[in-house]
Amino acid sequence: MNATTPAAPANHLCVVDDDEAVRRSLGLLLLSRGHAVQTFASGEDFLAGADLQRPGCAILDLRLGGMSGLEVFDALRAQGSPLVVVFLSGHGEIPMAVAAVQNGAFDWLEKPCHDERLLDTVGRALQRAGEVATRRQARQAAQALWDKLTPREMQVARLVAEGKPNKQIAQELAPLEQRTVETHRAHAFAKLGLANSHQLDRFLREHGL
Amino acid sequence: MRPPATRLRRIAAGAAALGLALLLIGLAAAWAERREARLQADAARRSMEVHALALRDAAGKYRHLPFTAGLHPDLRAALAHPLDAAAQARANRYIAQVNREAGSDALYLIGTDGVTRAASNWDTPQSFVGHSYANRPYFVDALAGRGGMFYGVGQTTGEPGLFLSAPVRSENGAVQGVVTVKVSLHPQQDAWAYARDPILLSDARGVVFLSSVPGWLYHTLRAVPPAELARMRSEQQYGPRPGFPALPWRVDRTEGEGGYLVRTELAGTARRFLAVDEPLPELGWTLTVLSDHAEVARAGERAWLLGLLGAAVLLLGGLYWQLRERRFAEQRDARRELELRVRERTQALDEAHAFRKAMEDSLLVGMRARDAEGRITYVNPAFCAMTGYAAEELLGRLPPYPYWHPDDVAQHWQHYEAMMRGEPALSGFESRLMHRGGREVITMVYTAPLVLADGRHAGWMSSVVDITEQKRAEQRQRQNDEQLQHAQRLASLGEMASTLAHELNQPLMALSNYASAAKAFAQQGRADLLAGTLDEAVAQAQRSAEIVRRIRGFVRQHTAGNEDCAVDALVANALALVRGDMRQRGARAQVRIAPGLGAVRGDRVLLEQVLLNLIANALQAMEATPPQDRTVDIDAQACGGRLCIRVADRGPGIPAALAEQVFAPFFTTKPAGLGLGLNICRTIAEAHRGRLSFADRPGGGTVFTLELETTAP
Repeated sequence: MNATTPAAPANHLCVVDDDEAVRRSLGLLLLSRGHAVQTFASGEDFLAGADLQRPGCAILDLRLGGMSGLEVFDALRAQGSPLVVVFLSGHGEIPMAVAAVQNGAFDWLEKPCHDERLLDTVGRALQRAGEVATRRQARQAAQALWDKLTPREMQVARLVAEGKPNKQIAQELAPLEQRTVETHRAHAFAKLGLANSHQLDRFLREHGL
Repeated sequence: MRPPATRLRRIAAGAAALGLALLLIGLAAAWAERREARLQADAARRSMEVHALALRDAAGKYRHLPFTAGLHPDLRAALAHPLDAAAQARANRYIAQVNREAGSDALYLIGTDGVTRAASNWDTPQSFVGHSYANRPYFVDALAGRGGMFYGVGQTTGEPGLFLSAPVRSENGAVQGVVTVKVSLHPQQDAWAYARDPILLSDARGVVFLSSVPGWLYHTLRAVPPAELARMRSEQQYGPRPGFPALPWRVDRTEGEGGYLVRTELAGTARRFLAVDEPLPELGWTLTVLSDHAEVARAGERAWLLGLLGAAVLLLGGLYWQLRERRFAEQRDARRELELRVRERTQALDEAHAFRKAMEDSLLVGMRARDAEGRITYVNPAFCAMTGYAAEELLGRLPPYPYWHPDDVAQHWQHYEAMMRGEPALSGFESRLMHRGGREVITMVYTAPLVLADGRHAGWMSSVVDITEQKRAEQRQRQNDEQLQHAQRLASLGEMASTLAHELNQPLMALSNYASAAKAFAQQGRADLLAGTLDEAVAQAQRSAEIVRRIRGFVRQHTAGNEDCAVDALVANALALVRGDMRQRGARAQVRIAPGLGAVRGDRVLLEQVLLNLIANALQAMEATPPQDRTVDIDAQACGGRLCIRVADRGPGIPAALAEQVFAPFFTTKPAGLGLGLNICRTIAEAHRGRLSFADRPGGGTVFTLELETTAP
């Protein structure tokens, strides 16, 4: 694994707006810039039809028939979706949009908006989505490696990451021979592909293990 | 009122005390009497000793005289030779001589036959010679060889006296005769007469033979047995008396101490005596001395008197003491009661004071009292809090009071003068005060005359209720009402505007997107997509136009109302809606409506809406204008057959660069403005076949002119 490689922008793009003209024009505009776009007429359709676990960008109109844009946003967060959300707001909805951004939405655009600003925002959102995807993949890979460890090895590995010597680990996990600790340690390093306790510590931190 | 039981008990106690006192006095009197009696008895005994000594002396002095005389040879001779006259004569002379020398009453010689041989009184008619005294005890005793002693009355002389006899013995010891001497005890009896109290001498039989009281002589102290009586008669002791009456005494022997009480009559008066007996054994008599019992009685009486006096003094003292105690107790009770009452009163006053103070302090209503001159005499804490002045700063102040609102001074004086005239507005009046801190306080003042307990009119008492909050609340409520009304009137328009804004945004957004996409497709040379995209853009432009048409349609729909509207009513209604806003901004409206204007035909609500918008804009434009210039001038007048309503402000004016855009949709200079107000206003004006225009106002600001058709006046 290499986390330092720049992430490729995601190309998963969804537009949710109940106004057909807006929906279609947005789709066409983004298509003209080379983005594949999935469009949905309502929040319910979107939550039911889109791949919510795939990293990408969702453009949500705040004022939707049925579920509001904010409710859809909340649903996404509840499902742990990696989708980056950009809101579209109409007249008088700016405070709502600002609140949404404060709650973790990526950005908001006021209707009608300049096409360049729109494209710029979408581009940045997709970039962010790519980063999210990368982090997600890295974490999943790390988790996969970690899951290979036996419970005892995990125990030893965590203590090693804290920088504790084998002798102390043996005492803390007694009854456990120092030699056995050494064995666990060697196994853990081999399975995780790491060389020393510093790398192990960073590995655990970066992937939230 | 005491309960009867206590009273009875008191009476019983009093009676017992009285009884005890009397008993004690009685005992004291008895003791005094006894003591006096003892003293009397002692005195009697002492005097008796003198008397007894005198008696013994009288008897003793002549005791041995008969014996001594009997030794003389002449007497012996006379006895031996009774017929010898010479011997008889010698004996007589001798006896007479001895008798004379000895001082006795009589001395005489008796032969064994009892016949007197010789006597000292031989030569007197009462001569004893030849008389026989053989019956007399003294002769009998002497004949028997003993010395005789006998008191009796002389048989010959009839004079009482003490007869002392001794035998005359011959050489062989035989009794030849008896010599007898008679001694009178009269000197003693006469001496007794000088004594204050009676003295009497009685013989062994109880017959009194000597007495200082002559009436008692030859009376008996006790009954004499008949045998004794007969013997006395035969002995002729007290002469030829038939009998001896008892003494006229009543003896009361209850007296102790050797004395006894005798009640008798003396010289015609009933008297009581204390009698003391003294036996004289060698004489066989009893000497009785009487002393006046009156002294004893007097001593008793004195004791009684003293006792009673003492008791009376004690009683009086007791009564006085009791009276004094009672008075003292009464005084003490009275004092205590007074103290208690004072204390109660004080406490009541304190309580009343505390109560009043708590009441005054807790009052939210300000209280202010003024005297007849209008000088403040009292203010409560609520009043001080209301005005911000301390009580000390207000007390004694005359008008103008420091808390008078400077803008309402004239009104305050008016109220004050009305009050001074005695015509306070009893139902209260509204009064604006100025808090020391500069805050305006609106109050309701109720004033009533302050009449003292004696009916004197001392001034005025006012209660001052702070109604500022109430007023503010009322004002707020009014503003709220106005705003609500305003909002309601604007609701349809605002709602419409908002909806339209949103609706218009959608096609504009889409239009923008399509245009952008078309540009990209054009660049990419994708003609197929480009045409379609442009078609879409056209459609969205048409959609926008449709929405704008709908706005006009909405306005037109609402101009359905077609009525005659008076210009002044339109202006007044519009002003009413902004009054709150105007007050808040410190602005005023100056309305000038030319007389005789015709009505405007149209929709009242929409026309009011236009005026409202113009006035509101004018107010907003004057935000930076100095307060004194914040006046909205509204005037209405005829202009070229039509009617012009002008709304002029003193705001910064509208820059020439923006003049073109003022009526454009979505043009606004306000941060929260929608930019549709003037656009809609113009639409409304045009819907009424009118015109809305603006121009710079000479002297600064802007003037909007609403030109409308008018019906003929």
